[in-house]
Amino acid sequence: MLEAGPELDAFRQSPYPALANGKVRYVGQAIAACVAPTRAQAEDLAEQVGVDCSELPAVVDAVQAMAPDSARLFDTWPDNAFIIRTIGAGDQEAMKQAPVRLRRQFRMNRQATVSLETRGCVAYWDQRLDELLVYLSTQGGHVMRLGLAQALGLPENQIRVIAPDVGGGFGGKNRLLPEEIAVCAIALKRNHPVRWIEDRREHLLASVHCRDHHYDLTISAERDGTIIGIEGDVHIDAGAYALWPTGSFMEASMAAGNLPGPYRVRGLNVNTWTVATNKAPMGPYRGVARPGACFAIERLVDELALHLGMEPYDLRKLNLVSRAEMPYTTVSGMKLDTGDYHDALDTAARMIDRPAIRKQQRERRPGELRIGVGFAIYTEQSGHGVVEWSKRKSRVVPGYEAANVRMLPDGSVNVHVGTQNHGQGHETSFAQIAAHELGIDPALVKIRYGDTATTPFGFGTFASRSIVFAGGAVATTSRKLAQKIKAIGAHLLQADPSSVEIRDGHVVAGSASVPFRDIARAANIRQELLPVGMEPTLEASGTYEPGDSAGVFSYGTHAVVVSVDEDSGVVKILDYAVAEDCGTMINPMIVDGQVQGGIAQGIGTGLFEEIPFNADGQPLATTFADYIMPCATEVPTVRIAHSVTPALVTEYGVKGVGEGGAIAPPAALANAVADAFRDCKASFNETPLTPRRVWEAAQRARREAGALT
Amino acid sequence: MTKIRMTLNGAPVVREVEDRTSLADFLREECGLTATHLGCEHGACGACSVDVDGLLTRACLKFAVQCDGRTVTTLEGLNQDRVTEALRDAFHRAHALQCGFCTPGMLVTARDLLLRNPQPSEAEIRDALAGNICRCTGYAGIVHAIALAADELIRHPRSL
Repeated sequence: MLEAGPELDAFRQSPYPALANGKVRYVGQAIAACVAPTRAQAEDLAEQVGVDCSELPAVVDAVQAMAPDSARLFDTWPDNAFIIRTIGAGDQEAMKQAPVRLRRQFRMNRQATVSLETRGCVAYWDQRLDELLVYLSTQGGHVMRLGLAQALGLPENQIRVIAPDVGGGFGGKNRLLPEEIAVCAIALKRNHPVRWIEDRREHLLASVHCRDHHYDLTISAERDGTIIGIEGDVHIDAGAYALWPTGSFMEASMAAGNLPGPYRVRGLNVNTWTVATNKAPMGPYRGVARPGACFAIERLVDELALHLGMEPYDLRKLNLVSRAEMPYTTVSGMKLDTGDYHDALDTAARMIDRPAIRKQQRERRPGELRIGVGFAIYTEQSGHGVVEWSKRKSRVVPGYEAANVRMLPDGSVNVHVGTQNHGQGHETSFAQIAAHELGIDPALVKIRYGDTATTPFGFGTFASRSIVFAGGAVATTSRKLAQKIKAIGAHLLQADPSSVEIRDGHVVAGSASVPFRDIARAANIRQELLPVGMEPTLEASGTYEPGDSAGVFSYGTHAVVVSVDEDSGVVKILDYAVAEDCGTMINPMIVDGQVQGGIAQGIGTGLFEEIPFNADGQPLATTFADYIMPCATEVPTVRIAHSVTPALVTEYGVKGVGEGGAIAPPAALANAVADAFRDCKASFNETPLTPRRVWEAAQRARREAGALT
Repeated sequence: MTKIRMTLNGAPVVREVEDRTSLADFLREECGLTATHLGCEHGACGACSVDVDGLLTRACLKFAVQCDGRTVTTLEGLNQDRVTEALRDAFHRAHALQCGFCTPGMLVTARDLLLRNPQPSEAEIRDALAGNICRCTGYAGIVHAIALAADELIRHPRSL
């Protein structure tokens, strides 16, 4: 069995068998595999499998799971924690002495990642090549091969992983799951391909689960609203096992580390528990931990403003890190590199027209829907490499990406990368980069990925890393190739290599020029035309990591206007605006797509998506009838404003943008709903904000305010 | 096994199928028509949308035997369809897909809308898409693309 989780002695091992062995720890865990010529026949077989199980007490709440008398998931553990850690930094005394201390509890409930294409795996032994061929819906074939080789006991060069087109991942396809190991293991014993396609019920039951954070925090501040610090407890419900390779360890450290957000926070003292429960294992999901952290800090900021009788906007302005303070190292040690957070807040406030909303609220007549406006600011770390991932004790350190750029004899170009596009538009962005460096039309460039046999080793696409790492590798490698093209072109033109330049697919020296296809022909198939001693072919390979591997930070402000029906608790989004900055944009249309798409998922977290469990550990949402997905009728077209503050340590100044959209919406939505009930000081501190939760919170607050009897 | 006959993408098809085989599985597994995607198999996500006798249909909720004697058109059968052509072009221009898994269902659904309502409002487009889940795009590009295609078909009715 694979060891999973960070390489820390304090992280307890939770051996996860491909098929349950001895103990079944969550509903949905695979117990047996049935193989038949068709899926229907295999399901007929599965129906005949009887399991003799004796019931054990269920552990379903991460906070209660740490009680001394709680049932245990693993007999060898002293309690239910994978790991317990305290993150303390900054001025502890100032927090204790603070004139204002406000304690609140927050919960972001459990979700699934819900790629529309579920997971899937086809494997067979290729007799001719003597290797296992695995078609896998994954975000990173090379890393999955590493895990499969270890699990199956095969050398890595006897496994080829192909992921041709992947129908979404969002983190959920960045872990090696037991079904995938089982399919490969069965394929080794059969002389035919073995296929398993996850169905939606299996996905919601037993694929990667996510979020499920509980916060009990105290924010301390001066009377004027200056934030002093954040203290308290964070519980992460990590499910029954750690998934290979890194488990869900980062969830707690990132949640705690991101609590200061974009603010000047002087003190931090957070105890974190990463807890095993009888639920499907937790994995990464777009935003990893930060949607929860952002929800907690941005709700605290609004609650503090309400407590002090301030506008949340003013309290944010008072505490936001300013441009002049950059680079600013937060109390948790993150270096906010470049940007203008104040400008993002002001722009979003202008776009949403805050005064107009306030006027509308004042003029609301009894019986009309309540209106609220909410803000949330996020930061999004990307481009973090060796420094950050070794600090996290990651089992696999994704500190670089590689590219191989080849010009064929006709002048067309193939670029091979180790990242895995699954909707991010790498074919477009990377082709733009290669074309830019080579001085050719992007249409001449073909981007290839998703096959361990043909692409250089790489870590895949996650953590908003591809544009920084793989984009950087394509840039530097293409640049290297351009130098050789120039050298050959200069030779063909009989010009001094330092005097030539590349222009529109030609090497140009004064009024003379030679097209790339002549250069490519010489380099590949007519070596007698090359300068003496020059190696033939036009091919360059290289790896890239940013100049500073601690990471760069994209950021933005989300502003949302909602209406709330007091009688039903139904929340509707009336307007949504974003002011964001992800550094230099290679393709603004793709950036907008990532922002809009991320927000749709954030709206899902904020308003709709949840897998509740009953006391026996039964998941209560296993179809799209119970698990509510945001649709075209719920997700508005977001108005997006861009600022461009280039990063200082990446190629072109790019920063990642994949996750940011999903981080802030739950916080912005909850702040907007709370704003609608500002008169009775109702708190909305649990996602998703279902009609029932909203109605109950409003009733409670109005009862306490004496508005109801 | 039951013998069924249908007109599939304009051509006659005769096959023996198990009664329990869904239309979607029949299309994908028996006929090799893999544009019909399966995102939930319980009629909620719309990725398997096809046209049966002119009606927008979830291929996962229909048995193949129910389509005996019917005319079934999948996205593969709409290559020469002028509305689908306009939609494909607009989806490309408006960045209406990311991973692309929902796209066939979106195209078949959008075509059905434009045949019934050639000049839909944004609200009508969103309403027509309410049964199709896209996890990547946040729908903005899709809604925009359908409006673009409608506009193109109105302005150049014969150019496609």
